[in-house]
Parts: sequence; C-alpha cells; structure tokens
Amino acid sequence: MTAVPPPPTPAVEAAAPPPPRPSVLQVTNVSKWFGDVVAVSDVSFHVQPGVTALLGPNGAGKSTLLRMIAGLTPPSQGTVRVFGEDPRSDRATRGRIGIVPQQESLFQEQRALDFVTLAGVLNGVPDAEAQARHQLEVVELDPDDTRPIATFSKGMRQRVKFAQALIHGPSLLLLDEPLTGLDPRQRIHMTQLIRSLGESGVCVIVSSHVLEEVERLGSDVMVIAQGRMAARGDFHGIRELMDDRPHRIRIGASDARRLGSALVARAGITGLTVVDDHSLVVDTDDAPVFRRSIAALARDAAVTINEVQPLDDDLESVFKYLVGR
Amino acid sequence: MSAIIAMTKRMIPAVATRGRLLTMALVGGIGIAIGIVLRRADLAVADLDQFVASFGFTIFVPLVALVISTATLGSLREDKTLIYLWLRPIGRWMIAAAAILAGVVVLLPLILIPMGVIGAITGETDSIVGALGGSLVGLVSYLFVFTMLGLFTQRALAWGLLYVLVWEGIIAGFSQGAGQLAIRTYARAAMSHLSGTEVIVDPPAGSTVIIVTVGVAAVSFLATTWRLNSMTVD
Repeated sequence: MTAVPPPPTPAVEAAAPPPPRPSVLQVTNVSKWFGDVVAVSDVSFHVQPGVTALLGPNGAGKSTLLRMIAGLTPPSQGTVRVFGEDPRSDRATRGRIGIVPQQESLFQEQRALDFVTLAGVLNGVPDAEAQARHQLEVVELDPDDTRPIATFSKGMRQRVKFAQALIHGPSLLLLDEPLTGLDPRQRIHMTQLIRSLGESGVCVIVSSHVLEEVERLGSDVMVIAQGRMAARGDFHGIRELMDDRPHRIRIGASDARRLGSALVARAGITGLTVVDDHSLVVDTDDAPVFRRSIAALARDAAVTINEVQPLDDDLESVFKYLVGR
Repeated sequence: MSAIIAMTKRMIPAVATRGRLLTMALVGGIGIAIGIVLRRADLAVADLDQFVASFGFTIFVPLVALVISTATLGSLREDKTLIYLWLRPIGRWMIAAAAILAGVVVLLPLILIPMGVIGAITGETDSIVGALGGSLVGLVSYLFVFTMLGLFTQRALAWGLLYVLVWEGIIAGFSQGAGQLAIRTYARAAMSHLSGTEVIVDPPAGSTVIIVTVGVAAVSFLATTWRLNSMTVD
C-alpha cells in the first residue's frame, strides 16, 4: 500500500480495445483510504462483458477494488456504477452480482448443498435446491456429500464459493484469487469455466497475482500496483510492456573487470557495476539481446561465466516499473 | 418471508452451540437449585418472589440474552460470513429480522423454562405468571439491544457485560433516573404488576412498561438495519 497522498498516475494503455458496447461496470476516479494508508488511488476504468483480469502483487489494492465494485465498502472518493446503479444501495443490482471472496470462511456447520441452496433462496432462484445441486456438479462437488463444510479442503471450499456465486446466473461475477488452493486439474477446469462464462456474455472480473493464470484466462488485463492502475490491455500487450522494461542482471565471471570492459561499450547496456573480482551487475534495456550475446562476448574476452542471474524478474519489480513509468 | 426463515434456520445452529446451551442451562439449573433451597427454608412468597426477581432479572435473563443475542449477527461479522447474506437482493431489515427470530427461538425455552420453574417453586400461580411476564419483557428488550450491539462492536460481550453489571447492577440502583434507563427496571415492574408482589419500589405503570419495551425494540431494530445498510462488510 502507498502512503498518502500519492499523485495520480495516468494508466498506460497497451492496445486497449475500444468500447463498442455499454459498460457493465464503470469506475470513475475511485480512491479508498484507511486512515493514513491509501489502498486504491484515483482509479478509473470501464468493463464490458467477457473476462477481465486484475493483475497485481499482494497488497496492490485488487481486493479492495473488488469489494468496492461489489458494494461491500464505499469508495472514499469517486463513484462505482454497476449497470448504471450504485451496487451498495440498489437491491436489484446486488441480485446481478456474484462474488467469490478471498476469505475462506463459510458457514462451517452446513453441508455444501445447504449453503448453496441458501444463496439461491436469498437470490430468489426458483427451486433453489435443484439449482444448487446443478451448480455443485458444475464445480465437480458431490451435492449429496453429507459432511459439513468445516471438514472440506481449501480447494473444495473454493469450489463451494464458486457454486454459491453462480447459482443465480449473475451478470457480473467478481472472483478474488479464485484459483487459490485448487489442484492442477481443478485449476484447468475452473479456468475453462471462467472462460466459458466470459464467452457467454457474463462480465467476469478476476483478481490474480500470477501472470500465467491471467494468460490462461485469455482476458483483458488491468495491472494494479500500489493502488494505482499501472497498465491496461490484452495479455500480449502487457507481456510486451513487461519484457521491454530495463532489466538488471548479475553475472558471475572468472574476471569481472575484463568482462565489464568488454560490455561497457555495447549497445543496450545502460549501467554497469563491478561488485568484486568475480561479480558484476549490468543494467540493460534489451534483455533478450543481452542474453543471446553474453556467451559469445565472454568467449571473445576469454572470460568464463559462472552465473547469469536476473535480479528484478519477479512480478513485484515488474509492477514497480510499470507504476513508475 | 422464505428468505427470513432460511436465514433464521442458518443462524440458529450457529448461535445455539452445545457449549453455550449447556452453560446457560447450568446457570438456570443453579437458579432452580437455590430456589428449592429457599423454598425449603419456608420463606414467605414475597421473599421468594424477591429472589426470582433478583436472580432472574439481575443475572440470568440479561446474561443468557447477552450471550445468545450478540452472537446472531456478531458471529457472522467476526467470521466474515456476513457477506453471504449481505450481498443478496433482499432488504437488509430482513437480515436483522432473521437474527431476532433466531434469538427468539433459542432464548424462549432457554429463559422461560428455568424462570417458569423458579416461579413455580413459590407455589403461587401469580408468581409464575409474574416471573414469565417479567422474563418476556427482559427477553424482548435485551434481545433487540444486544443483537444491535453485536453488529456495532467487536467487543459486544464485554460492552454488554459492562452494561448489565455496572450500569444495571450498580449505577441504576443508586439513581432513579438511571434506573429508568435500565431494562431490568421494566422487567421487575412487569413482574410486580403480574404477581402482585412489590419486587421493585414504585414500579413504572404497566402501559409504560409496554411502551418502553416496544420502543426499545423498535429503535434497536432500526439501528441494526441502519448499521447493516451503512457498514463495511469484510
């Protein structure tokens, strides 16, 4: 989270699609702060039917944003409109939203069928139990399982949460880290389910801090970092943006000074620090070319390379870079 | 209505845990045991009624109501499952109503049976009616107030105990003005009117008891609904 008050950073648009249809969700200049801590800062975007991913590191403000969209907490500033209405106060709009919250807690003593049926009843679903059975089957859970939810594994609970979110056929589905706790097979199944919901016209917003997850969802991507919208576009646009950034690489070598001398005049090298006799750190704005050429360069300089270690390849660094652009 | 009943059905087992029920039944059992001992000591009916009022409306009814009522919505808030009721296309008053209904279902037997038995120990029909009437007044007021408290604060049990023990138990005893703001005053008054025994000096009129009880319930219910509408849900 960011200390108050950070200046608003304009979002970087990477191949953003034009809005041909009316927005399901309109977020306008939304900020949310808790005391002195800003969780979300001046974020604006609109979302249409289909899958949209909120990508960002832990603590970036994704969950807070989702909670504001669901109406669970009001923005400190700005407006959130779902189908043109305030989701906090408009009852009909609440009936069009489904949410899979991040927290694990469910009604522990209930059976999964009872829990999902209750969701159906409260959403006014006709024959809620039959629908609950169907949804549990959709997420590959046994509707006749008599065990209380308290005995379920994390992955099973996650799927129960999915079923209760789907029972009333929501037009806007909010999924907060939905693949957490699922085994690989279930992840594939849930990913397919999310994609098919998006293709069927449901507006699905998925938060994730895992780039590969977002790639599999084939979605529009909004990168959130430090409470701000860092970038938006399709996955490939975001991927390019991330790859094109400057990289910092540590190289272990038999003679760091000699290798440094050979590197310093090369195009694409923006900084170079010799750490000690056997180690140097290189800043480059063209990492792929650097990786391809470093071996030949070392051979020509008669230096043996022991290690090539990216220092900022974690998502945290990527997000920091995007925010700072 | 089906939504309220569905939520009530969900809340009852969550509130009426075995531990809570056994503890509360034990407290009621202790009251009954003391009543039997006093009865064997050949105390006058008025003295026995005084015990019923003291034990019932100072300890038993408020304590049981506090433990159960603060848990109906308070536990949902604390374990972060309120979202599964809150984010539905229903009036938020329905959630409050379900909590009250769940409280009524759990508290009625838990309070009225021991209080009826303790009243019966005196052997007087009026005492039984008085004990039950006073208990009902206390149950209704405490239920609504403590249900509201459970939603307003995460330390509802502590605040409730502070109210029962310090305000009602000490401060209300010293000042008549403070006594007017104590639920137990109206529970005792109801018992006085129904049993014909003066378990409280200069009790408020019967109509005042009804108006205050309904008023406390209505205001608490409105405050609970307002809170549900305006709160941040985790």
